[in-house]
This record gives sequence, C-alpha cells and structure tokens, in this order.
Amino acid sequence: MLDGGMGTMLQEAGLPVGVSPELWNLTEPEKVSAIHRRYVEAGSRVLYTNTFGANRYKATRCGHSPAELIAAGVRCARAAAGTGDIKVALDVGPIGQLLEPLGTLRFEDAYDVFREMVVAGEEAGADLIVFETMSDLYEVKAAVLAAKEHTKLPVWVTMTFEQSGRTFVGVTVPAMALTLTGLGVDALGFNCSLGPKELLPMVRELRRWTDLPLILKPNAGLPDPVTGAYKITAEAFAEELCPALASGVHIFGGCCGTGPDHIRALAQSLAGKKAAPRAPADRSGVCSATSATAFDGVHVIGERINPTGKKRFQQALREHDIDYIVQLAIEQQDAGAEILDVNVGLPGLDEPATMVRVVKALQAAVDLPLQIDSSDPVTIEAGLRAVNGKAIVNSVNGNEDSLEAILPLCKKYGAAVVGLCMDHNGIPQSWQERAAIAGRILHAALRHGIPRSDVLIDCLTLTVSAQQEQAVETLQAVRYVKEELGLHTVLGVSNISFGLPAREHITVNFLIQAVQAGLDLPIVNPNQSAIMDAVAACRVLSGQDRDSASYIARFSTAAPESHSAPVQEKDLSIRQAVMLGLRRETAMLTARALETRSELDVVNELLIPALDQVGERYEQQEIFLPQLINAANAACEGFEIIKKRMARRGAVSLSKGKIVLATVRGDIHDIGKNIVRVVLENYGYTVIDLGRDVPPEDVVETVLREDVKLVGLSALMTTTVSSMAETIAALRRSGHVCKIMVGGAVLTPDYAEQIGADYYAGDAKQSADIARQVLG
Amino acid sequence: MEARLTGIDRRVTLQYLQFRGGVVPEKISTDLDRCEQRLLAAARPRALWKLFDRLPDGRLAGTVFRPLGGDVERLLKSSTQVILMAVTLGSEVEVLLRRAQVSDMADAVILDAAGSAAVENVCDNLCADLAELLAPRYLTDRFSPGYGDLPLSQQAALCEALDVTRRLGVSLSESGLLIPQKTVTALIGVSAQPQPKRRGGCNACALAESCQYRKDGKDCGKA
Repeated sequence: MLDGGMGTMLQEAGLPVGVSPELWNLTEPEKVSAIHRRYVEAGSRVLYTNTFGANRYKATRCGHSPAELIAAGVRCARAAAGTGDIKVALDVGPIGQLLEPLGTLRFEDAYDVFREMVVAGEEAGADLIVFETMSDLYEVKAAVLAAKEHTKLPVWVTMTFEQSGRTFVGVTVPAMALTLTGLGVDALGFNCSLGPKELLPMVRELRRWTDLPLILKPNAGLPDPVTGAYKITAEAFAEELCPALASGVHIFGGCCGTGPDHIRALAQSLAGKKAAPRAPADRSGVCSATSATAFDGVHVIGERINPTGKKRFQQALREHDIDYIVQLAIEQQDAGAEILDVNVGLPGLDEPATMVRVVKALQAAVDLPLQIDSSDPVTIEAGLRAVNGKAIVNSVNGNEDSLEAILPLCKKYGAAVVGLCMDHNGIPQSWQERAAIAGRILHAALRHGIPRSDVLIDCLTLTVSAQQEQAVETLQAVRYVKEELGLHTVLGVSNISFGLPAREHITVNFLIQAVQAGLDLPIVNPNQSAIMDAVAACRVLSGQDRDSASYIARFSTAAPESHSAPVQEKDLSIRQAVMLGLRRETAMLTARALETRSELDVVNELLIPALDQVGERYEQQEIFLPQLINAANAACEGFEIIKKRMARRGAVSLSKGKIVLATVRGDIHDIGKNIVRVVLENYGYTVIDLGRDVPPEDVVETVLREDVKLVGLSALMTTTVSSMAETIAALRRSGHVCKIMVGGAVLTPDYAEQIGADYYAGDAKQSADIARQVLG
Repeated sequence: MEARLTGIDRRVTLQYLQFRGGVVPEKISTDLDRCEQRLLAAARPRALWKLFDRLPDGRLAGTVFRPLGGDVERLLKSSTQVILMAVTLGSEVEVLLRRAQVSDMADAVILDAAGSAAVENVCDNLCADLAELLAPRYLTDRFSPGYGDLPLSQQAALCEALDVTRRLGVSLSESGLLIPQKTVTALIGVSAQPQPKRRGGCNACALAESCQYRKDGKDCGKA
C-alpha cells in the first residue's frame, strides 16, 4: 500500500502559493512529517518523499541544491516511517523541460539531472526510487539508466496516460511495457491522469505485455470542469479501485484528490485479499515510443538505411546530410516497413557518433522501432542508449567473442537480438549445422537473461545463382528454428536473386516460401512494390490480415497516377516544369538534357535560370511562398539526378561553396531556416545545416573546421535575438573571416545591423542573392 | 469542456501564408486540401481553463500571476474574474510538422499555416462554449502574453497558474517558447457588463512583431 496525494495536503497545512513544496522539507520538516504520519496511520506501507520537483531546474528557484532538498525530504519521510517495515521511496517527477526531439533538453543532460537526484536519494537512505507522473518515455529511460548505473536501489516507474490510451507525447501502453521491462525496472504502472475506472482497461492491456508487478495510483476520479475539485468519496474510490486486484495489480495508492481517508478506505477494502494470479504476458515485440511492432506474424524490416554499395548514401553520411537518411526512413515507413534497420558503417567515419546522430534524427520524424545494425559493440551500445523505445540489435553470431561482447548490451538496454547462423568457420552448408548454431545462440542469450521471445534467428540467405542447393537448406533451417526451437526468425531476402535476370521473380518467390517455412521478419526493400504486394497477400492467407482489410485498402486506393500519368514533356521546358513545381517532369527533362549536355551546363543554363525566374516572380509578389518552395523542390529533383550521376562517377561535386545555417540557441522553431536551406541547396550551394537550438561554439567550431565563408543565422523570437548577437560576437572573436546573414520573424534590417550582421535576409530569395554576392 | 476542432478556415491559412489575393493556383489548392486533411487527422486538440477571482492588486487569487500592462488594465476594467485558458493541438501535430520539414518543405509551410488556423478555431470554439457557460455574465476578448504590452515574460506565471505541463502536456522552454508550437495561452475577463468586441488592431495580434504585412508597411485587412 502506497500513500495518497501530497500537494493538496501541503496546501491544507498552509504552504503558500508560489512556494516550492520541496522547500518545506527544510523549513517546515515537522509539517511534512506529519502528513507522512497520517498516511502511515491510514495504512500506507510505502511513503513517497516530498521531492517530486527537487531537480536542478526547479531547485535553484528556491535557493537550495537538489541534494539538500532530497536529504531533508528523505529525513521527513523516515521520521514518519520509523524503523519498522515501512519503506521510504525517493519520489522523482518529470524535469519540467521537454526533451529532444520535441524540446531542447538533451537526453544526456536529462540523465545528469536524474543522476544527481538518485545519488542524493540513496545517500540519504531511501529504500527505493519511484519515477512518477511521467509522460515522455525518453525521459523515463534517462531516469532509469541513471538509477541503474549509479545506485543499487529498486526502481519503480509510473506514467500518466490520457483516456485515449496515450500519454501527452503519444507514448502507448505496449511501448511503455516493452521498454521498461527491457530496462529492468522492478515494478511499473500508472499514476495521476485519470480515476480508477478509466485506468482499468489500460491495466488489462499493460499486463499482456509484461510480467512485472503492477502499480496503480490514480486520481480521485475526474475533476469537476468548473471548480477543478475531485468529487468521489474515499469509499467510492476504494470500491472503484478494488477490481484492479483481479487484474493483477498489487501495489495501490492514490494521486491527485486523494488523502489519508482514501488510503484508509482502500486499505480496509483490500485487507486480507491477494492479487489474482496472472497469466504470463502473451505479447512480445519491439517499439518506438509511440508505436509497437508485435512479434505476431509477418512484419517487414526496411533495409534501405545502409551505405553498403550506395554512393549517394555514402556521400550523405560524409557530408552530414542527415535529412537524406531521414527521408529514406520516411519513404520506407510510407511503403509499409514496420521496423527500420539502421547501418551507418563507413570507413573513416566515427561510427558510434554517427549512429547516435542518425538514431536521434530518425526518432524525430519516424515512429518505427529501430534495428541497430553494426558489428562494433561500441556503436551498438551508443545506438541502444540513444534509442527511445525497445530496439533490435543486428547482430551476434555463434562466436563466443561476439556473444560475450554483445549479449550483455542487449540485456542491459532490453533489446531483442538477431543471431546469425554462422561462426568462426563461416556459414555452414547444411541446415542441421545452422540449426545447431541457432541453438547455441539461444542458450547463450538465456544464460545472459535475455528472454526467449527476444531472440530472433537469421538462417542466412545465400545467392541461388552461386550456390543453388543452399536455398533449400536455408528454408529448412528456418522451419526448424521456428518449429523446434520456437523462436522468431529474420531473413535478408533480396540477396537470393543476385546475379540473375528479372530478380524480382526469384526474390518474391523465395520470400513466399520462407514465410511458409516460418519467417516472421523479412528484411527487404519496402519500396519494391512486388515484395510488399507479396507480403500483403501472405498476411491474408495466414489470417493475420483480418477480413483482408489491409489488403483491400492497399489495392483499392492504389491509384496508378504516380506510375503512369502521362507526362506532357514535349510541350514543357525545364523552366516551365520548375515554375509549375512539377517534380517528375523536371527530373525527366533533366535526364534528357544530360544526354546531350554536361552537368555543369544543365545546372547553370537550365536549372539555375529557372529558379532565378521563380525568385523574381516571388519578389514581384506574383507567386507566394508555397509556390516558391514547390519550384525549389522540383529543381531539387533535377539536382538529385545530377548528384547521383556524379557520385557514381566519383566526380567532385559541383558545389558553389559552403554555407553554414543554424537556428540560434534557445530557438527550436526552424521552419524559416529550413526554407532557406531548400532554396540555397537548389542554387548549388553546399549547406551545412546545424539544426536548431545551436550553441554559438558549435557554429564557430564548424565554420573554422570547414573553412566556411558565409553563415546564415535565424531567430524567431525577441528572446532569442540575443543569442544571435552572441553567436555573431563569437564568430567575430574567432578571427575567421566570413560574412554573416541573419533572418527570422522579428528581425529587421536595422536590428540586423545593430547586432553586427553583414546582411539582413528578409526571405529565402534574398538569402540566395546574398549567397551569390558572397560566394559567386 | 471538450476541445473542439471543427474546421480550418482557409482564409486564415492563406493569411498566415501571406497570400496576396487573387485566385489560389490549382496545385496549391490541392495541396491545401491535402494538408488540411493530414492536420485534422493528426490533431489531438486539448483545452484547459480555469476561473480565478481578480484580487484588488490585480493578482489572480491562489496564484502569483498579476498580468501587467495598460492593455490588460483596459481590457479587464470591469472584470471581477479572469479565465486563464490554454489550447494545444498536441505533440502529434508537432511531429507532423517536423516530419514534413524533412520530406516536403512546401507541405511543411502549408501545414504550419493551417495549424495556426486550426488552433485559432479551437480557441474560438472554447471561447464560445465559455461564453455560454458563464452567461449571463460577459466575456472580454482573449489576450495573450506577447500581445500589446502584456510581456511575453509572463508566460511562465500563466503556465504555472494553469499547471499546463502536468494537465495539458505543454511545456515552456527557457527562452519562452511554448511546445508544442501550435499552442495558445490567453486570459479572458469575466464581467457583469457587456464587453465590446474590439477590433484590436495590430496591438492585439500575436503576429504583430513578425508580421510581413506590417514590415511591408501594410496591414492584413483585419486590423
């Protein structure tokens, strides 16, 4: 039995408005202890300390360190708990600053905030740590890692959901369960948010995804909309909460609107009763923060985020063009991928750092679970740490070294793992030998505490044109692993048809046979519609696609417009195509032009003049912003063809010079800067986009390292123009000679001059004019 | 009281896009349709409001929030109570906007404008509901930090009084930005006397500082 609400009790005891509740741990310890004592008398066996907001950000406002407030808070609770079996839980709420990608607080900084708190809590003698009222799974992950890595205390987590079944930032119950179970918390559940009645269905969902003890600490019903008061009585509260016992909850308490009376009533109704025995969780899978992919049938892993053999991708990695990679992810999700493989290994590149950058960028735009694909344990750990949700690690093999290096990481971060059926002797030729390696991998995983359902076996596809007899061996191995070992299986499929004409037939046929043999997670290129069509059909035949709903949706709406709409290219010049924002047409016309002219010619004599004309019309107010951007996007298709051609040839790019763009520190709305980027890129400049909320030193460091001659800074708010001024000052102090242009909603030419910028760019067109003036 | 998003006013969206009049090109019109649909599908509008007594010193009872400035003074002249409100389209729209900025900037620009129009719609609906609920008393126009001379720095006090982080999932960055960005906070006076619907002019507009019409020496036609 936990306790009830603290905030209202403190107010009743006289806490003045505007004073931090935690301050009373130091100034009015007796009053805080008295509240704890009333809960003990009511039947609480675990007391939450009055330290919900005792973090670095909030504590500084009352002039004390987190450690002081926490030590005092633990003392207050301990005084009430006495020396018996009543436990003191260090209570930790959300930091109050939003984490990346929605906010500006970095994961690593959040970790630090929590580390400071949990260390103080353990030193002060807390018996366990509770993270509560959380809505951001990423924040919880930072908190749990901090607790696990710096204390020995048990960790409980409760999150706050809305009636929609999601938290404010969209976290779902399965995502919470998978992620936190994986991270090894000791109990989990819900607090605050809603009343007992509303939370019960979520409890029933939660227990299907985890075997951990469940916590329920709801509000006293829903508040009255006008007065904000909670209305249900203590008895009604207890009565509504009791059914949770049958759903397997065995840690109870109350949140907003509940007091000692509620706890007393609850303790009485629960007295002598036991939580119902629970059936083991029947769901497993992986997840992002907002979407889970269950291991229950066929689900596609998208393979496109991988530089192997892709020059354009390699170029993007080298140039830090993360958006190119994010774009690949969005395309794959739109095409039906349900998990994304992420491989960023490229010689000469800092793989762990790149992995972190890419994982974070992907999470900002795509809500699919990720598969961290690397052979380097350092990269794998960096990726797993940065992941929001539960990931897959790709991969281990049957080698002792590989297993011992990587399985502990999977266990620590709660990841599923792909085991390749090979070892130091290479890939065995017979299915029996591969199955034996699968068994070895399973055994090692279990030994490391990784549950069976998280072990995914890849029986390995060999090229049928080279080793024809191996296709059957692979299929047989899949069948054995699925049926005899009872494991889920993964398989890279496309490799089967390498070297043969009309590859698609072989690939699709092999895919279907593999699914028949027991393949769950094919790794494929989801942009190939024949493959996804086959997956859709398989799901109908297996019964996974109920009432063929997805299949029907896929084929009844698939209008052929994007494939076969006739292009009036004959009547169209590149200039017109760009002007009208027609992407496909611009691409085709560019390709045609390249048959007779050089890349440089096409850029300088066709694409750029077309953009110029669009820019002029924008200035004349003949067209407006969406049209300008459409035109730039159309031109981009043309440039993309040229880039690919040149990357294939290994030619140096046609860049007209480098420009650094950044939205300054404190500002996270960077749509204006992104518009400028699109336009500048299409004028042939290489844009190094540092993103948003960029500290001055990062701008200076990049400008020096890349020897950049033009910097564009953007600020949206009056409050952040000062950090723009700081950034300009830092650039000037560095002594590097470069021009600085600034723009943003609140800036004016006067203001720009005042803070020391060289140019004021009123819009994207003007920034292109400035670039031409500075860089040519 | 439910937050209601009942539609996106195309004229308002076009105004945010600084459309200069005339016929909307067909392609843009199609894009607008598509973006409005995407936005409506993603939005999870939420509203939060609370009624406060206004103390003699201008402070709202039970809080440390005392709205500053002559504009608020005039607005609340006859108001004995004040509603604080906050409305958001939710983090899903935030994600949609970010994603669009990677995959299609033109869509991103339109979604951004349509999002602003949508959050205004939710505000308008909430205010209409509140007017009905509190009748026969009268409501003033809504007024937000950053409008006129009500300083943006008071956003924090307003957010705290409403407990927006805990109850609405909205947070305020250290530089004073509301996240998700399609979020509006405002105060509304409650008075026994009928209140004039002011055409507030640029002073009563959140975009006053950044308005391109104003920079061009013009106005948007609503002022």
